[in-house]
Amino acid sequence: MAAPVSNSSGCWGVPEVYKHHEQRKVCISRPKYREGRNAKAVKVYTINLESRYLMVQGVPAIGVMTELIQLCALYGAVEEYRPLDEYPAEEFTEVYLVKFQKLTSARAAKRRMDEKSFYGGVLHVCYVPEYETVEDTRLKLQDRRRYILRAVHNKAKEKEQKESAEKEPTTSSDCTTSSATTSERIVMRHDKASGDDNTGETSNVSKHPSFPPLPLPPREYHYYGHKTQHGTVSTEDKMGTLHNAIIVTKQQPAPSSSSSQTYSEKHRLTSKPSVVRFVPRSTSLENRKRKMDEAAGHSMTDATRNTEPLIGPKLPEPPKLDMEDESLNTTVSLIRNTMKQVESVPDLKPVEKKVKPRRRI
Amino acid sequence: MKSRLFLLNMWRKDSAESSGRFEYLQTLVTEFQDTDSEEAKEQVLANLANFAYDPKNMDYLKELQVTDLFLDMLTEENENFVEFGMGGLCNLSMDPECRDIILQSSGISLVTNLLSSRREETVLSAITILMNLTKASSRSEITDPAILQCMLRFSLSESPRLRNLAAVFLQDYCTEEQVAQAEQQMKGQQTAVGIPLPEDSS
Repeated sequence: MAAPVSNSSGCWGVPEVYKHHEQRKVCISRPKYREGRNAKAVKVYTINLESRYLMVQGVPAIGVMTELIQLCALYGAVEEYRPLDEYPAEEFTEVYLVKFQKLTSARAAKRRMDEKSFYGGVLHVCYVPEYETVEDTRLKLQDRRRYILRAVHNKAKEKEQKESAEKEPTTSSDCTTSSATTSERIVMRHDKASGDDNTGETSNVSKHPSFPPLPLPPREYHYYGHKTQHGTVSTEDKMGTLHNAIIVTKQQPAPSSSSSQTYSEKHRLTSKPSVVRFVPRSTSLENRKRKMDEAAGHSMTDATRNTEPLIGPKLPEPPKLDMEDESLNTTVSLIRNTMKQVESVPDLKPVEKKVKPRRRI
Repeated sequence: MKSRLFLLNMWRKDSAESSGRFEYLQTLVTEFQDTDSEEAKEQVLANLANFAYDPKNMDYLKELQVTDLFLDMLTEENENFVEFGMGGLCNLSMDPECRDIILQSSGISLVTNLLSSRREETVLSAITILMNLTKASSRSEITDPAILQCMLRFSLSESPRLRNLAAVFLQDYCTEEQVAQAEQQMKGQQTAVGIPLPEDSS
């Protein structure tokens, strides 16, 4: 891994260490009134610094990638991830690159996971916008601008409503309309709080088990939390990326079951226009088998049925147990067969009991 | 009935909170103006710039003329002041009203000067601000050949962030003819916009 020609390989090329990855020194000289809940460095966040791409440093090198990605997925759909093996890491730790589907998810994940302990290590999470493509950057800026415009627009509307409400504060209809947005917000917050409780269980004991339902006092840290809340409430989709705790890692079709999957896919693709359809081999085989079965059925009916005249209900077949795993299923059938064999030989010769001569000491 | 009362209280709290926010921001601005400590100034400036990220604060910040405060920082010697001021402007300029304020205070030339900053964060802010400031009346000034040439150079930069942002600028804010023209001019003579000054050797 020599030349950092990351242009050609796109965003997943060789990583470089940038200054903004470093954890800045925490500021300790803040007067009380400007102190947030947590100690923070003096840093200005702009849209340029934010990104859907996060880098997670300090992951203990004990094979917990799945757990890490599951933790990430609590904050929103993860689109892609990979270990950054080439990135300089501290001893016995690993570095991961995680790409979220939405910026808000990445923001929430960063806020919740940074400086939290994870399997005995302390995570350092930072945005890595240098992994963005031009298109990523473009969309990020467009989304941000759109969000601001919508916020400005909503605010102007709210102002109008408030003014009209102030004119006639006693009429109930005005009260409900003006507070409708607020109530909606409260409900959303509660939703989110419960979602966060869930995350609290699996991750480490969170310092903020739930969001307080009331607006927060104007402190830096509080404000930040409040802002993101507001952001997710009003900007993001109604599903709320933060509630969504499902990993959307694209399910790779298992190679063993590929025939049926590809079939259904192809079927979907070709079913629209009735062009000459490509019939996959599996289906033609199935068809042939069915035809043969039918043919055989006609001639063999008597033979098969008459061998054992059946009267009354059949004995229930042994329940088919699906262990949802091929090897487990094989094991099950193996055990079944063995048991059958054992059962079918009931008159076992009683084993001659050899009286072992006791050793005399 | 009970719930309605609750909601009404919520609404009152909401407005109480917003006036609290205004007072708080006012305190910050006052401290910034009164203090002699560079460190305190930096901290307050960063706070204000971060507050500018939330559109909820936009009106208060406008009222407190924080836009001008940020613009004043662009000509400071202290590079942190410049970086934080640019960060604040980057956040504020997303808002159309703030954009107009910046344009009226000859923000374009102030920001363009900072394309030559040594700090990447400042340069990135400058590009984003220029994009935010673009509207029909300001477009010709922002797509000046010198700026385009600078962006062309950035688009070849080693830094992916700089490269990407410059690419977005060239693709979305300039016409193809403008870019081609700037490329032609670049072969002839070079402009100095966006070339960082040599670092002080200390």
